Amino acid sequence: MRIVVDGQPVEFQPGDTVAIAALRSGRHPSRGGTLCLAGDCGNCVASVDGIPWVRTCQTAAAPGLVVDRHPAVGHPSTSGPDSSAQVAVHRSEAELVVVGASTAGIAASANAQAAGHRVVVLDAVAGDEVVGLFAGPSLIVRRADGIHHLHAHEVVLATGAAELHPVCPGNLLTGIYTLNAAAAAQRAGVDLGRTVTVGQDLVRFEGSGRVEAVVVATAEGERRIECDSAIVALGRAPRDLLARMAPGVPVEVVGTAADAFALPRCPTEGVVCPCSKTTVEDLQGGWDRGFHELELLKRATLCGTGTCQGSVCVPHLQAFVADRSGATPKPFTARPAARQLTIAEAAAGFHLDPTRRTALHEEHLALGARMDRFGGWWRPWNYGDPVAEYWAVREGVSLGDVSTLGKLVISGPDAVEALERIYPNNVADIRDGRSRYVLILNERGHLIDDGMIVRQSATRFVLTFTSGGAAAAEMWTRDWIETWGLDVRVMDRTASLGAINVTGPLAGELLNRAGITDPPKFLQHRHLTIAGVPCHVMRLSFTGEASFELHHDRSRSVELWRALMNLGADLNIRPHGLEALFGMRLEKGHIIVGMDTELDTTPRRVQMDWAVKMDKADFLGKAVMLGWLKYTPWPTTVEIDGRPAVVTDTPFYDKEGARARL
Amino acid sequence: MLACEPLMATRIVATPSALDGATWPPGTVLRVADDEVVFVGDDQCEVALADEHAIIESDHGWAGVELDADALADLIRHHIEWPLPDRPALAQGQIAGVPAKLHLPADSGGALLICLTALAHELEERVG
Repeated sequence: MRIVVDGQPVEFQPGDTVAIAALRSGRHPSRGGTLCLAGDCGNCVASVDGIPWVRTCQTAAAPGLVVDRHPAVGHPSTSGPDSSAQVAVHRSEAELVVVGASTAGIAASANAQAAGHRVVVLDAVAGDEVVGLFAGPSLIVRRADGIHHLHAHEVVLATGAAELHPVCPGNLLTGIYTLNAAAAAQRAGVDLGRTVTVGQDLVRFEGSGRVEAVVVATAEGERRIECDSAIVALGRAPRDLLARMAPGVPVEVVGTAADAFALPRCPTEGVVCPCSKTTVEDLQGGWDRGFHELELLKRATLCGTGTCQGSVCVPHLQAFVADRSGATPKPFTARPAARQLTIAEAAAGFHLDPTRRTALHEEHLALGARMDRFGGWWRPWNYGDPVAEYWAVREGVSLGDVSTLGKLVISGPDAVEALERIYPNNVADIRDGRSRYVLILNERGHLIDDGMIVRQSATRFVLTFTSGGAAAAEMWTRDWIETWGLDVRVMDRTASLGAINVTGPLAGELLNRAGITDPPKFLQHRHLTIAGVPCHVMRLSFTGEASFELHHDRSRSVELWRALMNLGADLNIRPHGLEALFGMRLEKGHIIVGMDTELDTTPRRVQMDWAVKMDKADFLGKAVMLGWLKYTPWPTTVEIDGRPAVVTDTPFYDKEGARARL
Repeated sequence: MLACEPLMATRIVATPSALDGATWPPGTVLRVADDEVVFVGDDQCEVALADEHAIIESDHGWAGVELDADALADLIRHHIEWPLPDRPALAQGQIAGVPAKLHLPADSGGALLICLTALAHELEERVG
């Protein structure tokens, strides 16, 4: 059986990992560095079947597997194989999840099971790769059958201890193994040649590419020992990657993973972080620049930010800081993922926010529309000729799909009171059958949306909002009505109703052909049947031309759209998309909240003080707006490019709330 | 393949006490909120309510599909991250990332799955 390593066939034996097979053929899986063969370090990563940064010591060799060692300089290709296939995601819950089938882990599992709890044990040896531990707590686990999202009530980490790596000159040569790695390699039949085992007496490794000798310190001075492979026995440190990944998450660490350990000797030379290639000299440079906190030193030097997230270097980094500060720092937080993931694996089970379609979606496509996401909806950006669409509105008649606008029905004895408090304009004086353009302000007087108030009766209104702001405006309205304890019902009709804007100088003619001889006047509205479809017709204008919004049941949208298009055929009717609409509204001077406004935009900043009635008893934002007048009066002169300019024609309000004009 | 069909429905928003005291005609009554009912099966539902300010509207903004027990189990296994309540119940949450509802009657192992018509295409594509 063979795998392919760097284009060459390599024999492997049953039970081999990719790393063992490569070593047996005389190749270091990643060209250099101490091998632990336990999944802790990043010194054996390679591209496997096109996927880079795969830990070859955790990957079973299989016939035909293609392994490409990462380049000595630069990064491997991340183009990878075809990843269009979805990765299966599995979700489950457990009362207790034990990570690690060590003695302590098995004991924790047995105790919990005896108490009647549902327990899941995750065992790396059995192929459970814990990718991340998150608040919840929840764990993301990679198994052969896909990605598992495991929601736990409690988590026990019994991950054991990891062998320390050496930090000294020459520690990126090939032929260096930890004690356990050497034993595993020899058991698998890897010929290590002449070996020498070293401990705290290690000074440096020597060799050209491959270790040829180890230099150790003796009472008489340095001693050089020639070898083919070096075995390092420097002790262990808790395998704490997952414990460091979720600070604040209530997990219990047991067994040797929880044991105290002695820091290694402070490194003086060599590569501390094999993943980021951070040297002791780099650390000293960071220290000299004033980065004396472990976390800051990590960020300044990238030590610990690589593949293994500090599993190798954290003890040495702690020793470095402790040596200079006199205090042992806590290890830094580890970031997911503990195992490198493909994009498909990382995305498994996650969804983008869904984008809604109006009932006219297929009509738009049939008309050649280029659709785009806007305000949570698919909307026509143009129909191929935005200039022609513009002129259809300006000189003839055009249809626009405005089904996406927010639409609320408000009903109740306190409806007027609620709207008077929410909106900064007067509401009570809107007569039945009339409507009014309105702004919506938050408590800080900042503009959060705009729309129309449409009065249907003494106690019933229709409110409209922007497409993108509709959901927030609905919550805003509901929350305040509930907060104030007012007797008002609220129904969101946004997704239930279609709306078509008939606009242009010939809009009235088109409605006449559809049977409407007496359409509503500007800012009036009526319920009318148009081309056989019951509509709530609102006359207003966003395009700058005569416009009638026809709100109707969305099940009738296609029928109404087609009827209007047919009736207007000889008027050269054509639909318009957002591209043309945005140009027209700019010419008209209409704002679009969210596009033209920022989080702190006030009505004054967009010159819409006229839509704010400071002489009202109260409304959301009024108290703060009064404060502005008191402390930051509107300037009468300003500087533009260093030259004085006079502010004219800007309305303002005095402290008593009376309206005036400069 | 999941295929949602438009539902004939009536939406009613009224005081909770008025909805509690209503006598409903034959159909499926989904109490989606304390103050709101989606009545599935008739878009002109006539119901007497002790609330003169109730909002009652014919509504074609919902789409749905009946799932048998096996289809529901498959949906839960692959697309629902949250625990379902005991029957009978109306469960509301995201299914494959799409806001949706599951009507879980007491006398069946299946469910009526509904979502906004405006999002039915997303649900169908994601569930497959």
